[in-house]
Amino acid sequence: MESLIKTTQLCRYFGTEAIQVKALDHVDLEISSGEFTAIVGPSGSGKSTLLNLIGGLDNPTSGKVELGGTDIAKMTGTELSNFRRDHIGFVFQAYNLIPVLSAAENIEYVMLLQGVAATERKQKVEEILEKVGMQGLGDRRPAELSGGQQQRAAVARALVSKPDIILADEPTANLDSKTGIGLLDMMKQLNEELNVTFVFSTHDEKIMERARRLIHLADGEIEEDEIR
Amino acid sequence: MPLTLVLAYRNLFRNTRRTVLTSLMIGCCLAALILTDGVIKGMLDVMIDSVTQTFAGEGQVHRKGFRDSLDTDLYMNNIDELEATLKADKSIAGYSVRTIAGGMISSSYHMTGGAIYGVSAEQEAGVSKLKQAIIQGSYLSDGDAEILIGKGMAELLEVDLGDRLVVTLAQVDGGDLSQALFRVSGIFQFGMRELDENVTFISLARGRELLGTGQGAHEIAIRFVNAEDAEDSNLPIFKQLSRNGNEALGWLEINPQIGAMIEMVDYSTLIVGLVLYLLAALGIINSMFMSIYERIYEFGVIKALGTRPGQLIQLILIEALLLGILGSIIGLALGGALTWYFSVHGIPLGEFEFEGISLADKIRTIPAVNQFVVFPIWVLVLTVVAGIYPAIFASRIVPSRALQRAL
Repeated sequence: MESLIKTTQLCRYFGTEAIQVKALDHVDLEISSGEFTAIVGPSGSGKSTLLNLIGGLDNPTSGKVELGGTDIAKMTGTELSNFRRDHIGFVFQAYNLIPVLSAAENIEYVMLLQGVAATERKQKVEEILEKVGMQGLGDRRPAELSGGQQQRAAVARALVSKPDIILADEPTANLDSKTGIGLLDMMKQLNEELNVTFVFSTHDEKIMERARRLIHLADGEIEEDEIR
Repeated sequence: MPLTLVLAYRNLFRNTRRTVLTSLMIGCCLAALILTDGVIKGMLDVMIDSVTQTFAGEGQVHRKGFRDSLDTDLYMNNIDELEATLKADKSIAGYSVRTIAGGMISSSYHMTGGAIYGVSAEQEAGVSKLKQAIIQGSYLSDGDAEILIGKGMAELLEVDLGDRLVVTLAQVDGGDLSQALFRVSGIFQFGMRELDENVTFISLARGRELLGTGQGAHEIAIRFVNAEDAEDSNLPIFKQLSRNGNEALGWLEINPQIGAMIEMVDYSTLIVGLVLYLLAALGIINSMFMSIYERIYEFGVIKALGTRPGQLIQLILIEALLLGILGSIIGLALGGALTWYFSVHGIPLGEFEFEGISLADKIRTIPAVNQFVVFPIWVLVLTVVAGIYPAIFASRIVPSRALQRAL
C-alpha cells in the first residue's frame, strides 16, 4: 500500500549546540492510508514533536516529511496553511475548541476557511454532529459541554473538512477512562467507515489496545514498530 | 452575520471591562477633539466677529495707498457714485462713509493724539457696534458740537460727559490747521484697547468741514448680507468699487493676520488631533496585545486548523474596527453632548484680550459636520492602523510554540 505519511531521517533538536536536546533523532517512518496508528512512549519520548512535524506545525532540524508524496518543507506559509486546512485534521489534548463559538460554529469554522457555502456548512455540521453522537448539542458553547462532549466536537471539527489524516495528541489524556475508551471506539469506527487515517499519541495502555499499529518511541527514536 | 464577524465581535466581549475601558479611552479622545475643534471654531468666530462686526466692517473702500500711509490727502472724491453702486447691490446690507484723520485732542487738563473719525450717525449704526458700545451719554445725532470718545481716552484726558474738548487737525491738500470745540456727548467702550484709547467720533459733516474734503471721504466700511461673501476677493462688487484710483477689499485682505490665525488654528487642531490619536493608538495597541497574549494558545489552534496569516490579520483588524466603532459611538455621544451644552451655555473664560481684541467672557462652541463625520472616520482608520502591528504579531505565531506541549 502506498505511504500517506513518510518521514526520512527526521530530526528535531532543541536548545543550543552546547546543550542540545534531541527530541527526535533520525526517524524513518511510513504510515499508509486508512491506518489507525498509535504513537506510544513515555513523557518526553518525542510523541508530540513527531505529530507536530507530521502536521506541519513545526519545522524539522533536518530530514524530510512527505504527506501524500508532497514534501511539506518546500511549502510556503500559506501553502502549508491550505494543506493543513484541506488534508489534516487535528484533535488536541485539551480539546481547544474556540470558547466564544458554539460547538456547531467551531465545526463550521474549518469549512469557512475552506470557502464552503453557508447552507452546505449548516447541513454538514448537522451530519457530523450526528455522526459523533452530539445531535442537539450544537448550540452549546464549549463551557457548557462535558470534557467528553468537547472532545467529540473536536473530532467532528477535525473530520468535517474530509481530511486524509487526523492527528490526535493524547486525545484521551483529560478524560476519564470510560469516556476515553468511548472516544477511541468512536474514532476507530470513523476510521473504518470513512477510511480516514488516524495517528494518535498516548501512554494509556487501555487506549493502546485499540490501535492496529503501535509505534514505540523512546528518547526520540523508534524503539519498536508493532503491527497487530 | 458572517462567522468571522461573529468571532471578532464575541472575542471583543470576552473581557468586557477591558473593551469598555479601551472604548471609553477612544471615545474620550474623540470627544476631546470634537470639543477642542468646537472651542477653537468658537474662539475664531468671536475673533472674526470682533474684527468685522465691532467697527471695521466686512469690507472697506479707500483711495489706493491710504491704508498704508494714512495720508489724509488720499481721499475719495466720487462718494456719490460709490454710494449709488453700493445701494444697487443686493449683497450689501449697509455701509458707512467715514473721514479719518490723525489729530490732537485736548481737554482742560491733558492732551493726547488720536484718530478722529467723521461718520454719519445713521450709516454707522448699520455697520459698526458704535451705538451699542455707548456706556455713558448718547449716540451721535449728527450735531456739530458732539463728540464720542472711548472710556480709555476719557480717563486719560480726565473728562466726563459735557466736558469740552478741542480737536486740532491738519486740513487736506496742504491746508492750514483746523481747530474746533466739542462737548463730550457720549463715552463708548468696544473692549478693544486700540479703539477705546485712541479713537473719537464726530459727525461726517463736521469731519469733512474740518478736513476740507468737500464731499470726499477716506473710507467706506461695508457690511454684507452674507458675511462669508466678503472672504472672496474676486467678488464683483469689489471690482466695481475698485475704480478711479480706489481699492475695495474684504476683511481677510484688510486683516491678513486673522487669515494667518485661521490657518494656524487648522494646524493646531491637527496637532491636538495627532496627540490625542497617538494616545488612543497606544491604548489600542496595548489592549490588542493583552487580548492576543491571552489567546495565544487559541491562535495556535486556529492556525493549526489552516487559518492563513492573512485571515488571522483580517480577524484582528475586524476586532480593532469594532473597537473603533464602539469608541466612536461613545465619543460622538460624549463630544456631541459637550459641544451642544457649551454651544448653549458657553465656556466661561473671563475677559481676556488676544492681539488687542477683547474676547467675550464666554466662548460658545460651534458644532461642525467634520467633527461628527471626518473625526470619527479618522478614529476608525486609526484603530485599524493601530491594530496592524498586533495583527501581524498574531499572524506570525508559530503554532507548535503557541500550543507548547500539546499539539
